[in-house]
Amino acid sequence: MRVLLRELGRFSRRNTLAAIGGVVGLLIIFVALAAPLIAPRDPLKADFRRMNKPPDAQSLLGTDQVGRDTLSRVIYGARTSLFVAFSAVILGTTVGSLWGVACGYLRGRFDLVSQRIMEILQSFPDLILAMAISMAIGTGLQAVIFAIAITRIPFGGRVIRSVALSVREMPFVEAGRANGASALRVMAKHVLPQCVAPYLVLATTHLGVAIVIEAALGFLGVGVPPPTPTWGNMLADSITALVPPWWLAFFPGLAITITVLAFNLLGDGIRDTLDPRLSPGFLRLVTGAGRSAPAATGAAAAPTLTIPAGKS
Amino acid sequence: MRKYLLRRAGYALGTLLGVSLTIFVVLRVIPGDPLVAILGAEGHAQMKPADRERIMADLGLSDPLPVQYGRWLIDIGAGRLGKSFFRGDTVAELIAHRGPISAEIGILALIVSWLVGLPIGILSAFKPNSIPDGLARALSILFIAIPGFWLGMLIVLALLFWFGYKAPFVIVQLWHDPWQNFQMVIGPAVVLGLAQGAYIARMSRSCLLEVISEDFVRTARAKGLREGLVVLRHALPNALLPVITISGVLLGFVLGGSVAVEQAFGVPGLGRALVVAVIERDIIVVQNLVLFYAVIFVAVNVLVDLSYAWLDPRIRFG
Repeated sequence: MRVLLRELGRFSRRNTLAAIGGVVGLLIIFVALAAPLIAPRDPLKADFRRMNKPPDAQSLLGTDQVGRDTLSRVIYGARTSLFVAFSAVILGTTVGSLWGVACGYLRGRFDLVSQRIMEILQSFPDLILAMAISMAIGTGLQAVIFAIAITRIPFGGRVIRSVALSVREMPFVEAGRANGASALRVMAKHVLPQCVAPYLVLATTHLGVAIVIEAALGFLGVGVPPPTPTWGNMLADSITALVPPWWLAFFPGLAITITVLAFNLLGDGIRDTLDPRLSPGFLRLVTGAGRSAPAATGAAAAPTLTIPAGKS
Repeated sequence: MRKYLLRRAGYALGTLLGVSLTIFVVLRVIPGDPLVAILGAEGHAQMKPADRERIMADLGLSDPLPVQYGRWLIDIGAGRLGKSFFRGDTVAELIAHRGPISAEIGILALIVSWLVGLPIGILSAFKPNSIPDGLARALSILFIAIPGFWLGMLIVLALLFWFGYKAPFVIVQLWHDPWQNFQMVIGPAVVLGLAQGAYIARMSRSCLLEVISEDFVRTARAKGLREGLVVLRHALPNALLPVITISGVLLGFVLGGSVAVEQAFGVPGLGRALVVAVIERDIIVVQNLVLFYAVIFVAVNVLVDLSYAWLDPRIRFG
């Protein structure tokens, strides 16, 4: 415990911004978890005596067209939005990472085919793929989580695959193989632990993306359906009025921005700490810019054009 | 070079075939009867079974799935791209009508992102860790975090309050009234361009800093060249390659992001058409539009690959 605290202290001295991001992120998570205790009102309860009220002492962030309290809705919205983002990122990154470990370790035909599949998945703009999937499987909470998770799979797959590719050549992995361990055992016992750090980096950097996709889906009316408040569908609600009240459009978006900002800062800090070598090239990798280099998978793939990142 | 071009194009075509298959499979997973989705449960119940079958056959939805997929591929080859359930026009017509607006937005956004991002990145790299650099980095971190569609909403709201702005309802093509057309696309383009510009500023800063520590930059300095020339003539060309890559990738964000941003501004572009089709569950339109977006995305990535060769003579095509 003391060691952990000391490490955290060192991390925050070196990455002040990341530490602030982490604290704000934790605060938002706390608000989301404790929503029933914190929210001043019931987020779903309409109050027709107080419709379209601008922010005042009674409802700090104003009320919407049917008199629901915006502050309470933003707080409950944090619950849904964060739940969706966390589940989607954990699901997508985990599936992608396990797949990536298998690709990098097994190589051969399995890897080739997998790389093509991931490439196909990455040929869609994120939001559009998520829209199509959530349309196909229905617009519920699970559908949205599933849709966002699928868009995260190839990122996990590509990054972790490259880690696994280098790890598999290391002596301790060879020792495991020489001991007669099965491929599954070597992957689980020797390769997987080496992938934990990049996995953490990936997951934090993609949290922000997932939150934005969720919000955009809600905004477009294909996300988590109302009346459940999410930041995205609150924004969609707000523009149904002819002259949208500014507080309805402003506060949910502010909540999204602050949350994404916090997680992005934290992600950057974790990345710099866990693997400073990764920084600019890694950004390319997680944003998928490395996709012009499928040739690394073998002769049958596309001709390679890449030169080492940034080294000119 | 030509051989490479052919192979790259063939590879991209293979990917797109996989893409089309994925779209087809995903959209046919839709549980339930597409007719229920189109007509609503009540309308569906009121119809005679024979009518239902006739309509399904009309729409080509009662054939076996492989046949449907094959017919879709033929449709794509013929450039028709299938028909909307609700409107008589083909998706190809829809794209021809609405596509130009979205294309303008995308291209303008790209221009804005370079105009904003590159100078800021260069300024940051000139004096790393100075106050302007800190400010530039803070702003780029902020603009990466702000969702474009929200920024768009706020801008529209502000215009509405202070200038009585109304969302455009009809499409004004560039060749009909350039000024009105410009007013229509500039908002979404700036919003999308700023977010991308933030990435470009960040990327060009880090790449420039990396290049600036190289030997040839030291040599240029040692021979007494002015710092401005050192950066612009020697460092910058060598730092641009990754920036171009990220710009190609960012186009994916623009394509996806433009869907939401068009909605925020109320611009009737292609993204808007996609949203409407998704909400109406107009499967054929969604299927073709999603494919169209993927085609654009893949094509841009091929172009980015090719631009490498043009920009960097060291690269040999393998």
